[in-house]
Amino acid sequence: MTSSFVSATGVDEALSALAGGARPVAGGTDLVVGARQGKTPLPESLVAIHGLDELRGASASDRSLRLGALVTHAEIAAHPVVCERLTALADASSIVGSHATRAQGTLGGNLMNASPAMEVGGPLIVFGADVTLRSGAGERQVAVADLATGPGTTVAEPAELLTEVEIPLPPEGTGSAYVRLEYRRQMEIAVVGATAAVTIAGGRVAWAGVAITALAPTIKLVPDAEEALIGSDGGAAAVGEAARATAAAAEPISDVRASADYRRAMAEVVARRVVSAAVARARGETVAVPASSTLFAGGAS
Amino acid sequence: MKVPVTLDVNGVAYPLELEPATTLLYAVREGVGLTGAKEGCDDSECGACMMLLDGQPVNSCSYLAVQADGREVTTVEGLADGDELSPLQRAFLEHGGVQCGFCTPGMLVSATALLAAEPRPTEDEVRIALSGNLCRCTGYDGIVNAVLEVSGTS
Amino acid sequence: MSVAESEPPTFLRPDGKEKVTGAGRYTADLNLTGQLHAKLRYADHTHARIISIDAGRARAMPGVLAVVTHEDVPDVLYGDLAQDRRLFAKDRVRFEGDVIAAVAALTREIATEAAAAIEVEYEPLPAVSDIEAALADDAPLIHEDWESYEADEALGRDGNVLGYSTIVKGDADTAVDTADVVVKGRYVTEASQGAPIEPRALLAQWEGDRVTVWSSTQVPYAARAGVAHVLQIPQSHVRIVVPLLGGGFGSKCDFHYEGHVAALARAAGRPVKLVFSREEEFIAPDHRREGMVIELETGARKDGTLVARRGRLVLDGGAYCGEGGFFAQMAAMHACGPYVIENVNVGSTLVYTNNQPSGSIRAPTAPQVCWAVEQHMDELAEALELDPVELRRRTLIAEGDEGPTRQVFGPIAVRETLERAVEMIAPDGDLPEDEAIGVASGWWPSFGNQSGAYVKLNADGSGTIVTGAQENGSGAVMALPVLVADVLGMKPSDFSILYQDTDAAPFDAGSSGSQTTMNNGRAVVAAAGEVRDRLLDLAAEKLEVAREDLELADGQVRVVGSPSKAVDIAELAGSGEQLLGKGSGPVPESPPCDAEGCLGRLGMESFLEPQVFTHAARVKVDRETGVVRVLQVAAAHDSGVIVNRLGATGQVYGGVVMGIGQALLEVSQLDAEGRQRNPHLLDYKLVTASDAPRIDVAWIETPAQNGGPKGTKGVGEPPTVPTPGAIANAIARAIGERIRELPMTPERVWAAGQRG
Repeated sequence: MTSSFVSATGVDEALSALAGGARPVAGGTDLVVGARQGKTPLPESLVAIHGLDELRGASASDRSLRLGALVTHAEIAAHPVVCERLTALADASSIVGSHATRAQGTLGGNLMNASPAMEVGGPLIVFGADVTLRSGAGERQVAVADLATGPGTTVAEPAELLTEVEIPLPPEGTGSAYVRLEYRRQMEIAVVGATAAVTIAGGRVAWAGVAITALAPTIKLVPDAEEALIGSDGGAAAVGEAARATAAAAEPISDVRASADYRRAMAEVVARRVVSAAVARARGETVAVPASSTLFAGGAS
Repeated sequence: MKVPVTLDVNGVAYPLELEPATTLLYAVREGVGLTGAKEGCDDSECGACMMLLDGQPVNSCSYLAVQADGREVTTVEGLADGDELSPLQRAFLEHGGVQCGFCTPGMLVSATALLAAEPRPTEDEVRIALSGNLCRCTGYDGIVNAVLEVSGTS
Repeated sequence: MSVAESEPPTFLRPDGKEKVTGAGRYTADLNLTGQLHAKLRYADHTHARIISIDAGRARAMPGVLAVVTHEDVPDVLYGDLAQDRRLFAKDRVRFEGDVIAAVAALTREIATEAAAAIEVEYEPLPAVSDIEAALADDAPLIHEDWESYEADEALGRDGNVLGYSTIVKGDADTAVDTADVVVKGRYVTEASQGAPIEPRALLAQWEGDRVTVWSSTQVPYAARAGVAHVLQIPQSHVRIVVPLLGGGFGSKCDFHYEGHVAALARAAGRPVKLVFSREEEFIAPDHRREGMVIELETGARKDGTLVARRGRLVLDGGAYCGEGGFFAQMAAMHACGPYVIENVNVGSTLVYTNNQPSGSIRAPTAPQVCWAVEQHMDELAEALELDPVELRRRTLIAEGDEGPTRQVFGPIAVRETLERAVEMIAPDGDLPEDEAIGVASGWWPSFGNQSGAYVKLNADGSGTIVTGAQENGSGAVMALPVLVADVLGMKPSDFSILYQDTDAAPFDAGSSGSQTTMNNGRAVVAAAGEVRDRLLDLAAEKLEVAREDLELADGQVRVVGSPSKAVDIAELAGSGEQLLGKGSGPVPESPPCDAEGCLGRLGMESFLEPQVFTHAARVKVDRETGVVRVLQVAAAHDSGVIVNRLGATGQVYGGVVMGIGQALLEVSQLDAEGRQRNPHLLDYKLVTASDAPRIDVAWIETPAQNGGPKGTKGVGEPPTVPTPGAIANAIARAIGERIRELPMTPERVWAAGQRG
């Protein structure tokens, strides 16, 4: 039972609360649900950070996009730089939960919840994003790829607050996409998800990033899939090889949502579609956001 | 430990003393005494508890009331203008968008948020925006038609 | 956007304003001074002998005012056709929702903590979750004392067999050999849920030796009888009041937790409130749509004539009978369907397991069996090289045809529903390669029940309908003023409704079986008729004309042919005369049939005024993933005369969408011991607004000869029935493989596609 609560008015105040053992709460979408379902009780001591305006901003340079920890999924999905340069992140942010989840759920909270099924993790990892973890003792940068250590756990110390995410902008000629296998169009959790980004220069894939979601204890890159693409023309053969490599890298489980066999088979299908979409976008073709709705049988007409 | 909190619900300030773990839904239903918002699940899946927080939709069953201190909360009770139903409320009735009525408060709140952000949504945009609100009675048809009629896009 | 062949809405539901403003009160919205909060302690095993229950530690906790177990209530059994359950488990638990104890405490938190502190010692027994395993000779008995239970003799109980019914006509075993073509199929369905958005809630308060229970029940009179029985008190000492009801779909039928809260409130000497969590709403009620195994074999002649149908059905009854005892016979009737079949032999077994008890969910047994039968019919059409629509055209029943028990049908328009559904869904051109259309037809009986109502006119000229009928949200009770106003020449908006209070109104069977318009409609029309008679007498006297020359219209009693000679009904109502009516009306009886050769006859062997229907579904199948999107459903129904078009069409929209969920998404997954693995709405997936398709609705109004007022039948249940079957046939057509498990999840559709 929570016995101490403070609503922080500045980052330093939040950090000193964390140093005193408090846990941060922003949009509350994961923390409060977990407590109400009896999975994890609310922490003894809470510090609310929703009022910290300095964690709310988004700023783009010609090199990167910096997103404050309190930026919401809805704000990410609507950000012009995300839509144009980091399309996979737009795909992901626009299909998180429901409209209310997207309005309240924050980037920082989502990352620190460290779910292997989180939508935005794959795109951030593929783009090589870093997070800033700040504590009273100073701050450090950690790659999103290194942040989660397993379902629900991260490398962050209890006294550290995730304050910002910096996403390097990929070069011109890059296309990216995130897709998930979804049983419903909304209110869904990824049964299988994958992210791909490719840079095409002179008709060849100069760089590629592929990551899988809900297919391993943490979201992870698939180097074999990337190698299959780099140097290729991004055609069906290379895409197929990348997809097979993705399925081979999956460590799927069986649960109420799907069997491991189905997940592994879907890993290949999802990977093929997401890489194809990334290649198409790199070539300047239009694949509507969110790519999942576009690529998985569409919605009601 | 109780925390003093002032909840501004539908334009009225309510001074409350709350345990930090109290959800916004519980505070509004039991503390403020407005029972329009409903509890249909405990994991943000049904949307019956939907309120607006500074104009943005929130599953109030999964939001701490202490975090709403000093912010604007809108519930279904705040949608009508006195005795005059809002256009959405009237259209829900006229289009058969109300049956058992348990999802209706949350559904109306979500529809209100949608039309505030996007006054002329497409049918698909309406359906996406209402997908966080489950309805077991109507098949959504009357609800979607009501929103489209009010937006002038039907 | 969906299109209904609809008249403009004629009137707004009287409970509408309170529902859209949030002012309306549902049970969980009520609080009483001094009220305590209840928590139930459920079984820790799905099958175990109880060795001891020690509530000492719970009772001693500060803030706990009462703990109730089997020791604190009369030792009586309850249940509908078989009395096999105690309010609190005594020596056995048989499923995960069995109630061991109930706690009343100052707060929900204390009650929860105390319920967990009750110490129960068990001897675990082997649990049986699989229905075929429960039928094995060496299967553990779920009810060792089954022979001592009071039960309907016709059930045919035997060990784990709770009920066995057959539908037999002619000699199917011999006739099948004369067929040109024989097809066989085996289909398996899993359990799904009613899942109303309102979790159930109850509040009980004693005043002297009388108890009032506010309850989110669909059937207040059954709840009253249940409380009286389990507490062994007179029914007149129990009053059930139902505030606004947040949906039920059958899951809130029958007596449930009213007895627990009444016992707790009595023990605590305080009002007690119980509100279910979503998880409890999944696991505890003795209502879910049951899993089945359905084996069908049909022989036909080349022209499609159905020579013989043989069937074997096994239904998962779960741990207790509840009100689902009639399911075996109902399922057997659906295994025949609205078809002319020369010879029939269908056997249907309802089996006890350690799963959640099965009970009525919107058209119980019908959607699953229809899903199997209609796939089977498509397979037969393929074997006959006939178009599936053509096969149905040749075999669906029409007026004068004989049913599976030789019931002879009156006017009935199932063939017309087929033509209309097919017409509404006809595509403009060729469908894309990944899309296809499927059809399914079906039937569902109307139910004749006792029902009563009062109608009175008030001095201000308004009217009040006092009815025992229960409004579940469908609008059936809300439309009663339409019928009364029609009798009295007044406007529906002239009437208020006093309802859902067992002390105020006459008996009604409640919101179950789509029976409100048919039965309570008859009652209010009869009650209004008495008022009409009195008005005519008064007007005849006042106008000095013969009664026979008068009519009621536009709020007046007036002389036919000279409408200026009239008196306002409001004036008569304000004259000091009592204008009171009461009514019930004769209960329609099921039509005669020949069921001599049938076992397990429980009253479903002939169908009173069947509602008949055809749905056509257009789907898009993502073959690589198995994800199916339903793009359009065309629904054509003959439910007799429709009195409230907006309300009736709303039932179709809602039923179709529920049917889509049960076709593709909704399943309560069970572990080997019968525990639900997904009792929450994240993984028990209801259809959302963005997955709901375009729905076109057509009504073919064949006036019922032996139904409700104006030739009405029921409306609410049928729309769920043919939807899964239509979708199944569309999927099979799209991928060339048949899905024989329900729900037809993406994984199953994908796996079928892999076979192809």
